[in-house]
Amino acid sequence: MKKPKKAASRTARKSPRSAGGAAAGSDPGPASFALPIDCMVADAAALKESLAGLVGDSRPVTLDVAALQRIDTAAMQLLTAFVRERDRKGLRVEWQGSAPALSNAARLLGLTSELKLPA
Amino acid sequence: MTIDLTQFHDAFFEESLEALDSMEAALLKLDVGAPDKELINTIFRVAHSIKGGSATFGFSEIASFTHSLETLLDELRAGAMQVTMPMSDLLLKSVDVMREMLRSVQSKQPLNSQRVSDLQFDLEMMIAQKNAAPAAVPAASAAPAAPAAVPAAEVAPASPAPAATAPAASVAGPTASAAVAAPSAQASGWTMSFRPYPQLFARGNDPLRMLRELAELGTLEVTTSLAGLPSFAELDPQTCHLAWDLRLTGAIEEPAIRQVFDWTEGDCDLTLARFGADPAASAPAPAQASAAPAASVAAAAPRAAPAPTAAAPTAVPAAAAAPAASAAPATPASGDSGSIRVSVEKIDELMNTVGELVITQAMLSQLGSQVEGPTAEKLRSGLAQLERNMRELQESVMRVRMLPINVVFSRFPRMVRDLAQRLGKQIELKLTGEQTELDKTVLEKIGDPLVHLVRNSVDHGIEMPAVRTAAGKPASGTVHLDACHRGGNIAVEVSDDGGGLDKDRILAKARDRGLVGPNDVLSDEQVYDLIFMPGFSTAEKTTDVSGRGVGMDVVRRNVKELGGKIELRSERGRGSRCIITLPLTLAIVDGQSVSVGSETYIVPLISIVESMQLKASAVSRLSGHGEVFSFRGYYLPIVRLYEVFGVEPRTKKLDEGLIVVAEGEGHQRIGLFVDELLGQQQVVIKSLETNYGNVQGVSGATILGDGSVALILDIPGLIRALNMRSAA
Repeated sequence: MKKPKKAASRTARKSPRSAGGAAAGSDPGPASFALPIDCMVADAAALKESLAGLVGDSRPVTLDVAALQRIDTAAMQLLTAFVRERDRKGLRVEWQGSAPALSNAARLLGLTSELKLPA
Repeated sequence: MTIDLTQFHDAFFEESLEALDSMEAALLKLDVGAPDKELINTIFRVAHSIKGGSATFGFSEIASFTHSLETLLDELRAGAMQVTMPMSDLLLKSVDVMREMLRSVQSKQPLNSQRVSDLQFDLEMMIAQKNAAPAAVPAASAAPAAPAAVPAAEVAPASPAPAATAPAASVAGPTASAAVAAPSAQASGWTMSFRPYPQLFARGNDPLRMLRELAELGTLEVTTSLAGLPSFAELDPQTCHLAWDLRLTGAIEEPAIRQVFDWTEGDCDLTLARFGADPAASAPAPAQASAAPAASVAAAAPRAAPAPTAAAPTAVPAAAAAPAASAAPATPASGDSGSIRVSVEKIDELMNTVGELVITQAMLSQLGSQVEGPTAEKLRSGLAQLERNMRELQESVMRVRMLPINVVFSRFPRMVRDLAQRLGKQIELKLTGEQTELDKTVLEKIGDPLVHLVRNSVDHGIEMPAVRTAAGKPASGTVHLDACHRGGNIAVEVSDDGGGLDKDRILAKARDRGLVGPNDVLSDEQVYDLIFMPGFSTAEKTTDVSGRGVGMDVVRRNVKELGGKIELRSERGRGSRCIITLPLTLAIVDGQSVSVGSETYIVPLISIVESMQLKASAVSRLSGHGEVFSFRGYYLPIVRLYEVFGVEPRTKKLDEGLIVVAEGEGHQRIGLFVDELLGQQQVVIKSLETNYGNVQGVSGATILGDGSVALILDIPGLIRALNMRSAA
């Protein structure tokens, strides 16, 4: 939780879409978050900061992966922990858009079903 | 908290550049038409691991380029394309470009992207031209300027497993390679337990990359263990909490798998077990289990899985399971765990400290010899022991700095091949003594001179095939590079069986340029020496290979800076030989200490021809040359060291002191007049330039046993000074 400001700006810089992507307000509509272009180990801390606000959100959370181009195991692990945590609380995660990088990584790492990705 | 991946860049660059060297060597061995499968695999693996690494570190241009290269190599590997001469050239050029790209990224210099994209286009054209097998990665889609860093597996048609309940997935290789591997052994392969340590990510390793590489070797089934995964809030995003059980089906050799995990050594527990082909060896040896407790302590992992260490399961001999491997050169891919990388500065520091110790030890020995009394004998035997140990220590440290000269030699096969092709000559390069070891500093500086010499041999030495055949020689010429120990030195020799040096032409050219008077008579040696003059070249026309006359004088200067000597021998029509003699190290020199008045000087032993006492009658005075004496038919100038260094000598009479005949470059000799000879010893060289400034006639200093400083004489420098004085 150190340097939250820097972490947030990192994410925003990497992907213009993710700026304001996390719409975790109090309005009753679904919350959504756009994953940046790069979800690598170097970005993982920033990604966690962004997802931390959504993990307990009672609304369904949509993860938009349309911009995502590169993802590694560290980020996949983080997403898995995120989805599992929400699943344990009975909360849903929806995926929006398609990212070959994500589906391939999930397939190779054996995380497709754990992440509830469309097969 | 973010990890700075740049800390791993150096290791990546270093390993990638080394890998490129081995790729180049393999390419040069590759026969057009009937290529060795193992060689192609080696080449492929290099491209593959550089692609993976550069993608991990975000060097997208390198990743994109190596992706194209890898696609082509994969076609070769699958036998879908044949190795042709243009392809071999293209692949070698790719090595050059990758090297350039790595260096430019490393030095943060702008990249020549035009060259890269041109070559990438050529690679893709070559793949597209073949275009017979539709199963291959669609080259067309990647061709039109798509430098996006999307690794192969991600563009390949996905076959996601519909597994809804079990966290297992089956992954097929993205190209035909899996299918190619299959027929020989239908249901054989490997099961693997891959348990990363928490720090795996932080070390720049990405399991995704490894699994992707494995999937390219055969059919991969993945079962993920999430047992170690903490809750979201507790998760440190840079720590690896996942583990995998893998089943890889296909006829795959163990080294290929080990190679995938090459960079993870010490960062994971990995066990391999073969299934199918060799049932007896399908389980890891029980002995491995005993190593488990140690491994889990080292891992400090939150999970309790007692996995064996990453050591190879000895029960699975790779060769027994893979008959094809018997013909391949035995190169254990990941067997270099017995070495560590140490920075040169650290070794230099160590060397320096040892140098200081040697001086202290010499000082103690000197003191010890003056001590009297009951304990004196014991002290002296202790000091003798210290001296022995010191010498061993010194030799050990020197050995650490030694590298086989192969490091330098290995660049020549490629160079000679390219030059010969360009010049239309047929040349065979012979390398011998590649294992001869040399100090790293010497090694680094000898590279360029050798390049000049080899170029000269190829360009000037070896004749065109027609000329050779006409002279009754085989059409193909030979350039021979040899290294060996000779005395306390290393001799490196470049020889060729070409036309040899044309003495008359050299002499004519030298007369043309006024380097030699029209009536001067020169010995063979002196004529060959002319070649080392700045601006001298007898090449009929200047080519981009050689002939600009900047070569040989640079060669001699470089060799001289290393404290070495260069000699040229030649026989008309039979070829020429160039012999470079180098000291083993630049840190220590074998010296003869001489005294002049109260001062001691060190004359490097390599320069000394002999020492003698002169009769006053043997000395004569020549106008403009000062004092000379006759030595074996030649008149040598006398240099009175006390005059050079302004010291009050014990005697100024030549017949009361001694003359040390010393040789500089190009057989120039002088007689050094000294009071007396003291003894021979190895001295540790301390740079004067670093600690004080450049002094003509002095190459460095050393500290003697009694703590006093002695200057090490630079004989070529003294000769130069003498020549300048007599010319003035």
